[in-house]
Amino acid sequence: MLKKLYTLFAIGVVSLYSMAAMFGWEITGGSRRQLPPDARQNGYRSFHFWHYGLHGGK
Amino acid sequence: MSVLVANCPSCGAPVEFKSGQSIVVICSYCRSAVARTDRELKDLGKVAELVETGSPLDVGLRGKWKDVPFELTGRAQLGHEMGGQWDEWYATFSNGWLGWLAEAQGRFYITFQYPIPEGVQLPSFEQLQLGQQVPGLPWPTPLMVAETGRATALGAKGEIPYLLTPGATYYYADLSGADSAFGTLDYNETPPLVFLGQQVTLADLGITTTRAPEREERRVGAAQLSCPHCGGPLELRAPDKTERVTCPNCNSLLDVNQGQLQFLKALEKPSFQPVIPIGTSGDVPEGKMTVIGAMSRSVTIEGTQYFWSEYLLYNPQIGFRWLVQSDEQWNYVRAVPPGEVTESGKSAKYQHQYYRMFQDAQCNVECVLGEFYWKVEAGEKVRGVDYIRPPYMLSKEVSTVYVTDDGGKQRRTTGEINWSLGTYVPVPQIEKAFSVSGLPRPSNVAPNQPYKYGWIYKYWIIFLLITLLAGFFTFIVSGSTKEVFSQTVNFAPLPNEDGTQVFFSEPFQLEGRRNIEVVGESPVQNTWVYLEGDLINDETGVVQSFPIDISYYQGVEDGEAWSEGGQTDSAYTSSMPAGRYVLRLEGQWEKWQQPAVVTVKIEQNVPHGFNLLAALIGLSIVPAIMVFYHISFERRRWSESMFGGGDDSDDDD
Repeated sequence: MLKKLYTLFAIGVVSLYSMAAMFGWEITGGSRRQLPPDARQNGYRSFHFWHYGLHGGK
Repeated sequence: MSVLVANCPSCGAPVEFKSGQSIVVICSYCRSAVARTDRELKDLGKVAELVETGSPLDVGLRGKWKDVPFELTGRAQLGHEMGGQWDEWYATFSNGWLGWLAEAQGRFYITFQYPIPEGVQLPSFEQLQLGQQVPGLPWPTPLMVAETGRATALGAKGEIPYLLTPGATYYYADLSGADSAFGTLDYNETPPLVFLGQQVTLADLGITTTRAPEREERRVGAAQLSCPHCGGPLELRAPDKTERVTCPNCNSLLDVNQGQLQFLKALEKPSFQPVIPIGTSGDVPEGKMTVIGAMSRSVTIEGTQYFWSEYLLYNPQIGFRWLVQSDEQWNYVRAVPPGEVTESGKSAKYQHQYYRMFQDAQCNVECVLGEFYWKVEAGEKVRGVDYIRPPYMLSKEVSTVYVTDDGGKQRRTTGEINWSLGTYVPVPQIEKAFSVSGLPRPSNVAPNQPYKYGWIYKYWIIFLLITLLAGFFTFIVSGSTKEVFSQTVNFAPLPNEDGTQVFFSEPFQLEGRRNIEVVGESPVQNTWVYLEGDLINDETGVVQSFPIDISYYQGVEDGEAWSEGGQTDSAYTSSMPAGRYVLRLEGQWEKWQQPAVVTVKIEQNVPHGFNLLAALIGLSIVPAIMVFYHISFERRRWSESMFGGGDDSDDDD
């Protein structure tokens, strides 16, 4: 039983690692977000947007 | 071959010496041993009638050994001082060789007489030690003393190549060596006669006999007898082999001699009840075998007496085997030739495998039930040494007996070494094989119980290698690292300590399915620069944030230079959809009144070991836990040993 479980787990780990290597995934990557559509239309370079809009203040 | 035909000096019947090497011929009419001398025939006395052992061999049978035809021309039956007998057949070869074919316990050994090499002095019988190697013998492999004993000429048939005197006794030593080597030192003469050869099968000898099936049929059949003490019915399941049997009705110990029972003594009520009843048949790895005897044995270690049970199994075609039950754990045991085992310190070697010593103690027979092929009785003591290599246990038993000659004037020590190989058998397998249920389950670890999770180490190594291969393969196919952006950014001084400066790059192109590394470099000295970075997809608005923290400190303390951190820092992010991106950097630095310079480089398809490390750690979690369990398992195993020991990871499931 443990043999099957470990085999399945190990296959999962190896597969995940292989896929990460193939698709360029990183475990250590930071957060990823989506700019609101209006921000893209109105410009996203303002100090106010980055400090009170997207990040919610720093 | 010179044929001599004469008349038996005892009864006058014709006797014939077909072989020129024959010294004695047994008169087929009156069973007199007739010896030929230079001048006359001499009557040596009558030999006893041969005990029917169910041998497949017979005088007159022909065979071939090393492509040389032979004929069995004589047979002698010899008695062992411990009871029982064995047969020796004399093979006259067409090229003049004379071979000895010994038959005991269903095994065959062919030997030939060898002259003692010049300058070699063989030890006397008194000097022989069980287990010692006998130097100087003309044989390619070392031979050790496996048994010493005294034989008595009981009966004979046909032609015998030496002066066989009925009832005469002589001392001998059986030798055993690697590759089935076998030998005998015959102390009937001084110096002893040397016979060397090997264990063989009937097929090796080219003997195909129609007697074999008859023999098996006869041997399978049990003998129905009555106890001479209580008159109760008693069944002998191995009538041609049994030397001792206990009566199931009155518990008397009976001696068995040619199927005749003789009362020896009344035994106390059995101190143990076999969990597998005598007479039960079961399927063991070698075939179907029947329990014909059981005994309780004990060993005393540091003042504590430990008991275990042994069940004697029998099948005429297979021979004898044992089932040993100790601490509710079971072993299936078969004998191995003593010469195949080499002992060295606290280890033993058998079939190129090393075994570790586990126990060395004197073993006692506490109680016997059923049939046995030697004259066993309660109180019998042997020295037992166990070596383990799970799931196997190699056991040595050394027994010695004292025999007296010349009306008790001379006392000699004889004995034998028996080696056996036990294989661990789980309780459910025993229950299934012998159709019994409810056998107690063990709560401890048996000396040779295999660690059933040993496979995980192999699996672990295999998956680690697969992961490394996968990493190497993807590294090869994914191509080289590509720089997609590089710029030196000059930040103006900050307005205050908490202020920031922001930089937006010109758009640049990122490829999909490629990881990203952002490297920041600043010539800082004993200060820091912190950048909050964002990669912004100009088309979709996806933002990937990352930090760059550059700090570098150095100095000299107590005359020693030191440094901490570095002038570069990097951040890795997962691949992003292919497209046009803008880099945003918002910087802060310790010396805010001064400008800051940061060179930023963005690369894709960068080799990064963190994912690989994470995969290797993931694969190692379960094996690491199992290592602790394995250590605990081995500690429990060796806690039962008088030699302690460490962990042992050579097991298989």
